[in-house]
Amino acid sequence: MRQILAVTAGLAVLAASACSAPAPPRSDAPPVTPAGPATLPAPTGPHPVGTIALYLKDISRPDPWNLDADARELKVTLWYPTEQRDGQHAPYMTPKESELLLKGTGIASAPYDTLSKTRTNAILNAEPAGKKLPLVVVSPGFTKPMSTLTSLAEDLASRGYVVAGIDHTYESYATTFPDGRVAECLACDSDTDPGFGTGTVQGRVADVSFVLDQLPSKWDDSSLIDRSRIAMAGQSLGGATALAAMVKEPRIRAGIDMDGTTYARIPKSGFSRPFLFLGSPQHVPGGRDTSWERDWKLLTGWKRWLVLSGAEHQSFTDGPLMAGPLGITPAYGVLPAARAAELTRSYVAAFLDQHLKSKRQALLDKPSSRYPEVTFCPATCGPS
Amino acid sequence: MTVLRTAAAVLAVLLAAACTAPTPPRIQAGTAGATACTPPHGPREPETATTIDVIEQAYFCILGNYYSGATLDARSLLTVGFLALTQEINRDGRDVPDAIMPALTGDRKADWAAFETAYRKITDQVPDLRDKLAVVTLEAIVAALGDNHANWTHDVKRPLDYYDGDGYGLGLEANVDVSQADGDTPRVALAPLFVTTVLGGAAQAAGLLPGDVIESINGTPPFFDGKATPAIAALYPEYPKVRPVELRLLRQATGRRWTVTLTPGPYERDLAALQVVRSKLLDDDVAYVRMTGFAPDSANRVLKAITRLRTGRTLSGVVLDLRGNSGGSPAEATRLLSAFVHGKVTAYQCAVDGKCSTSRTDDTVQLLHLPLVVLVDQGCASACEHTSAAVKDLRIGQLVGTRTAGVISGPARSYLLANNTLLTFPDRHHLGPGREVIDRIGVPPDHYVPLTPKDAAAGRDPALAKALTLLHK
Repeated sequence: MRQILAVTAGLAVLAASACSAPAPPRSDAPPVTPAGPATLPAPTGPHPVGTIALYLKDISRPDPWNLDADARELKVTLWYPTEQRDGQHAPYMTPKESELLLKGTGIASAPYDTLSKTRTNAILNAEPAGKKLPLVVVSPGFTKPMSTLTSLAEDLASRGYVVAGIDHTYESYATTFPDGRVAECLACDSDTDPGFGTGTVQGRVADVSFVLDQLPSKWDDSSLIDRSRIAMAGQSLGGATALAAMVKEPRIRAGIDMDGTTYARIPKSGFSRPFLFLGSPQHVPGGRDTSWERDWKLLTGWKRWLVLSGAEHQSFTDGPLMAGPLGITPAYGVLPAARAAELTRSYVAAFLDQHLKSKRQALLDKPSSRYPEVTFCPATCGPS
Repeated sequence: MTVLRTAAAVLAVLLAAACTAPTPPRIQAGTAGATACTPPHGPREPETATTIDVIEQAYFCILGNYYSGATLDARSLLTVGFLALTQEINRDGRDVPDAIMPALTGDRKADWAAFETAYRKITDQVPDLRDKLAVVTLEAIVAALGDNHANWTHDVKRPLDYYDGDGYGLGLEANVDVSQADGDTPRVALAPLFVTTVLGGAAQAAGLLPGDVIESINGTPPFFDGKATPAIAALYPEYPKVRPVELRLLRQATGRRWTVTLTPGPYERDLAALQVVRSKLLDDDVAYVRMTGFAPDSANRVLKAITRLRTGRTLSGVVLDLRGNSGGSPAEATRLLSAFVHGKVTAYQCAVDGKCSTSRTDDTVQLLHLPLVVLVDQGCASACEHTSAAVKDLRIGQLVGTRTAGVISGPARSYLLANNTLLTFPDRHHLGPGREVIDRIGVPPDHYVPLTPKDAAAGRDPALAKALTLLHK
């Protein structure tokens, strides 16, 4: 019992520091004047990109967070290739969502609607194009709306993937439903409970299975999807969800965890579908998080563990791209936003091309002189 | 301490990945003053070996910041540290002829210099023991404070195959809990020893049930002449202990006597049961809320749960179940109390010179205006006792169960040492609303309702039954 208060005090400190973004204010740095709104980097694939939002309702289970909701409602955002080059670009998020996200994250260095002004590349409700397209389910980090992974989603769609991004309701600062309701982060109350990560990921896995069940009937163009080629990727708790969903869900053939501590029990007999750990230097063997080391031994199929020097927890999201508009000075030595986006897009696409499109990718075989930031673990990396 | 250590580790990992925003620390940072120890800031780097320099830092950190640091006789700390050092050398089957306590004068700096000189001379002669000697010396110095909120957190390890939410040990809880078994709380342990909860792991696999009486542990009776024996501590092994524990059991309902051997290990726990705040409606008119810790936001979670259960009906009252609540933030305790009373002092935090600051109710919290019964037991510690004492003293409600832990010396503050270990202790001591000492004494229930093995076996909860009776009077 002696440690009771010590533990709590330690927790407060950890909570304050375990996350990499936003950068703390530095007294010795000159104040940054917020730049204009962000423009997401252009997608690198050959196709223009369309996007549409779907709203699904799972009446087979109550919402895990809202005890008064007897069904689980989900917003799913699809990104897909299109031939349509003109039209209205999809909004990044609503002004209200921007406000709730910035307030929740404790950022007050720019007007609260700043993120809603971000310019995206996808055409809203554009006609999809292509056939037999592989599908990538994407899950964001805890408290983050799915839109914080838009740069990656748009890029994958331009390369010929359908991306289904899930907003896990009440696990994000803001999810807007068609009737105008904005679901806030009910789960944030309990995020220090023991077993919170494990339980939340279990709920997210149910979300993923439900989305896979519903896509054929709820999206008019779902016949474009090759349902034998499904992968999943996510950042932080979303990455943990990718691993957990694969273990539970035979429809998912390959998975990517970007910098997320993992929670799912991989069977002791091993797990053989392809998996990519893509992380910041916190996730080296012997580092602060030991979950990847635990899981690595149980992954018996194709696997890679790549660590990006200079990366932070948010380097795999749109977060760094927003630093300028938000008037935040990136910490010294951190990967520049454009470079972080390029690395994330390149390695995620290489993995998916190899495992869903059967195109061998040299990038995944060994270190590349084009991307010297990338280290292959555990063989050639140690504790930072 | 197993549970708490595990909890801390779990949370550290969770927060490392799952969180996004810096949360303002709930507990105020201590004033480091002239001493070279500061509150931790940022992620903790890997620990390095404990050295004499770390012990020096801790010694001056205590003298500069601890509750009675300004007035205590520093010689007592050094003497106890030196004793531990010599005992550890002896434990290794050796001795050092020069291991003689240096003469101390009462001058804190000069005494440290003398201690350090002697320490270096001794440890140079047993270099293979150097790291271990430093650890036992510092452990002894911290223990010498005799303060249940003083602790040195170091060398925290967990199994590699550990998952968030897992427990470690035999997978059971008994009526004599881990802090009674370790002597952390002075609460009296009463015979017989019996299982209260099967959490999972080896106990579950062996088919143990609540109410099973434990007649012996590794061949030793748990009670001798009515007094608890140290054998009970074996029920709560911490990682990395793996030695199997043999229990002789009696199931009273059937008269069956048998022996099981349980091997400690990590085990999966029921995730729903791990939620810090859980609530349900009882008898259609009582809001029952169980709270296992005063974690960030926990007071608001309790109040939200009551408001939700109240919607569309008239409640007779609230049962707040604080049994096994290991404490946490005093601010959460005060916030929770503020929903039941305004304009009152819920506790005093007093410096060694007798000057006290007060924890006043937050009168912006809306009053519930509902009768309250609080369930307490020997596992209710720290902020839980802050709450219980205020409920009793301020006549907010009634306490049902057994006396609280008496583990509430004062709100702890943390300091980072040079080898990335954490030193924690209070700078003030806690007093109840009537300026009474709660530490060690605990808070007695208004209605004494202990649990019996028969109740446990039958799944009965006599304390809860008493609470409902009181609310329905």
